[in-house]
Amino acid sequence: MKKLYLVFAVLAIAAMVLSACGPSGGGAPDCTKEDVFCVGLVTDVGKIDDKSFNQSTWEGVKQAETELGAYVQYIETTDAKDYAKNIATFADAGYDVIVTVGFGLGEATAAAAAAYPDTLFIGVDQFQAWEYDDDASNDLANVAGLIFPEDQSGFLVGALAAMMTKSNQIGAVLGTDVVPPVWRFGEGYRAGAQYINPDIEISVVYHNDVGFDKTFSDPEWGATTANSMIDKGADVIFGAGGKTGNGAITAAAQRKVYAIGVDTDQYYTLPEAAPYLLSSAMKLLTPGTFDLIKLAKEGNFPAGNFLGKAGYAPYHDLEDQVPDDVKAKMEEINSMLLDGSLETGVAPVKPE
Amino acid sequence: MDWRRFSFIALIIATLFGIVVSIGHEQTSPAIIITSMLATTIAVATPLTLGALSGVYCERAGVVNIGIEGMMLSGAFFGWLAAIYMNSVFNFSTMPSLLIGVLAAMLAGGAFGWLHALLSVTFKVDQIIGGTVINMLAIGITGFLNRQLFFEKGSIFGGQVPHAPGVLPRIQLPILADIPVVGRVFDQQPIAITAILLVFLTHYILFFTRWGLRTRAVGEHPRAADTVGINVRKVRYANVIIGGLMAGLGGAYFTLESVPSFEPLMTNGRGFIALAAMIFGNWTPIGSWAAALIFGAAQAMQINLQFFREMIPAQWAFLQQSYIVGLAPYILTMIILTGIIGKNVPPAADGLPYEK
Repeated sequence: MKKLYLVFAVLAIAAMVLSACGPSGGGAPDCTKEDVFCVGLVTDVGKIDDKSFNQSTWEGVKQAETELGAYVQYIETTDAKDYAKNIATFADAGYDVIVTVGFGLGEATAAAAAAYPDTLFIGVDQFQAWEYDDDASNDLANVAGLIFPEDQSGFLVGALAAMMTKSNQIGAVLGTDVVPPVWRFGEGYRAGAQYINPDIEISVVYHNDVGFDKTFSDPEWGATTANSMIDKGADVIFGAGGKTGNGAITAAAQRKVYAIGVDTDQYYTLPEAAPYLLSSAMKLLTPGTFDLIKLAKEGNFPAGNFLGKAGYAPYHDLEDQVPDDVKAKMEEINSMLLDGSLETGVAPVKPE
Repeated sequence: MDWRRFSFIALIIATLFGIVVSIGHEQTSPAIIITSMLATTIAVATPLTLGALSGVYCERAGVVNIGIEGMMLSGAFFGWLAAIYMNSVFNFSTMPSLLIGVLAAMLAGGAFGWLHALLSVTFKVDQIIGGTVINMLAIGITGFLNRQLFFEKGSIFGGQVPHAPGVLPRIQLPILADIPVVGRVFDQQPIAITAILLVFLTHYILFFTRWGLRTRAVGEHPRAADTVGINVRKVRYANVIIGGLMAGLGGAYFTLESVPSFEPLMTNGRGFIALAAMIFGNWTPIGSWAAALIFGAAQAMQINLQFFREMIPAQWAFLQQSYIVGLAPYILTMIILTGIIGKNVPPAADGLPYEK
C-alpha cells in the first residue's frame, strides 16, 4: 500500500511542477569574450536571500564582483528537476565559472562539467569522489567541490555546549550518520565536549530509523527526540540535519534551554528559536566561495576537493550570558583548530 | 474491552520500558528514564490515537477509512496556514492564532471526511479507492499550496516563510502534575490531553448512548437498522465527518504542537499506523489508544536506546540497530492479526455500501 501511495505521491507532485526563471538580460556583457570574467550561481531549491546556504554563497560571488571585477548573475531554482537546465543556461551563455549550491546539485554539476569542459564549476558541499578512485576516465579537471571540516565545526560547538551546561548533560539530534558530514558534525560535537570535560554525559542521536528521503525532513521526530533529552536533564541541544535538526532546535527553544544551529548562522533562519540560540556550527561559505573564484580567475583552479574553513556563529542575544572566559576559550580552540595544533580525532566517515 | 488483549498490551509496554531501564539505570536513574519515556510515549501516541479514533468512528458506522493519512496531512497544513495567516496577516497574538489554527485543522480534516462520505455513501465508490483518492488529493493540495504561497515570488508572503506563531504551550494539571515519576503524564500539551479525553468520550458515546448504539447498528447490519427507522445515510455521513475532525486534530499535533513548521508529506505514514493501531485495538477506542501507546513506547525506546548506546550488553548488540527496535510494533501488529490474542472482529458491514 505504502509503495503505491508513494508512486501516487510522486505523480501528484510531478503534475504540479513549475518552471524556473532564467537570468535576466539587459545590459549584460558578452561572457563568451576572453576578457570578460563571468560568474553564475545556481541556487538549490529556494531563494537567493534565504539567509542560509544560497545567500552565504552568493555573498562570496558578490565579493568576486567587487574585488575581481567579475560580472555576476544568479538563477533561483524552484524545482530539483531544473538543476541541469539552470546550469546549462549559464554554460550556454559562456560563463567562465558556475557555482552550484548544495549537495543536491552534485550529479547535475558533474554531468554539466563533462558536457562543458571549458567552463569551471564550483560545487558547494559536493564531495568529489572521483579524486579518490583509480579510474582516470572519471576525472573532471574543471570541477572543484567546496567541502568543509564539519568535525571542527561540531568540535567548536561541542566545547561551547560543555562549557555552558549546568546539568552536565548535553544532547545532539542529527540526520542519518550514513551521510559523512552529518557523522562528522555529531562525532566532532562529542569530541569537543569531551575535550572540555571528559566526564560529561552526551547523547548523540542520529535519525537512522527511516528512509533516506525522510531523515532530513522529519521535524516532528527531531522535536520529540530533543524533548526526550531535555526530560532526561540535558540543557544544551545541538540540532544538525536539515528540517529534522531545526525541529530539535525549535523544541529546545520552546523548553527554554540552549540550542545550537548548524551550517550557517541560524539566528537568522529560525527566528522562533533565536532568543535561545547559543551559536551555530558554521561552514564558512562566503570566504570559501570567494577563494575558489579567485583561484579560477588567476588560472590556478584546483580541481578535486577544496577544503573550506569551519567556524561558529556569534552569540547574538545571549552575548551577556556567555562568560568572558568561555568566549576566550572558544577563540583559543578555534585558532588551535585552524593552525592544526589541535585535532578532533574524528574519522572522516563512520567506521564499519 | 477484552482484558486478555489489554493485559497483553500493558505487558508489552512494560517490557519495552523495562529493557531501557535495565540498560540505562547505571547512567540515569530509573525514575528519570521512565518519566522521559512516558512523556515521549504520550507525545508520539497523540496523532496515532486521534487517527485511530477517526478510524473507529468511520468503521463502526461501516465505512472503511484509509484516508486518515490524507486527512491528517491536510489538517497539519491548513492548521498551520491558518495560524500563520492570523498571526502575520491579521496580527492576532499567539494563542488566538494557534487556537484558530487548531479549529482550521479540524475543519480541513472534516472537509475531507465529508468528501469521503460523499464518495462512499452517496456515490457508493469502493471505499479503499475513495480513501486513496483522499490521500493523493491531500498530498497534492498541501504540496502545491505550500509552494505557491510560500516559495513563489509575488505570493502573499513574497517567497519567505513568515515567522510562525509558535506551538501550543504545555498545560500542567494541578496536583496530578506534582506526582513523582508519572506526574509528567499530566504535564502535556493540550492536543495530547484532548486526545486522551476523546478516547474515553468516544468509548462513552459508542457504548453508552443512543447515538453510539445507532452507529454500531449501522456498521453491523444496516438493513436491520434501516427497518427500525434509522437513517443509515445520515448516521454514516455524521460519523465519517466526525472521524475527519479527529484526524484533522491529529494533523494539528504536527504543526501546532510539535514544531511550528510544515513539511510536505510530514505525517509520514502515521495515518496508516493509526489504522493498524485501530485494528490492534479491535475497533474499540480504549484498545486503539493502548495500541497507539505501544507504537509510542517503541519510538521512546528507539530514542532512549540511542542515549545509552555504549551501555548495551554485547549479547543484545542487535538493539544498537535502531530500525530493528522500530520494527517491533509492526511485528506485534502481525501477531495480533493472526488472532492468537483473541479474535479480531471488524464491524460486519465494514466497507460495504448500503443499497436500499
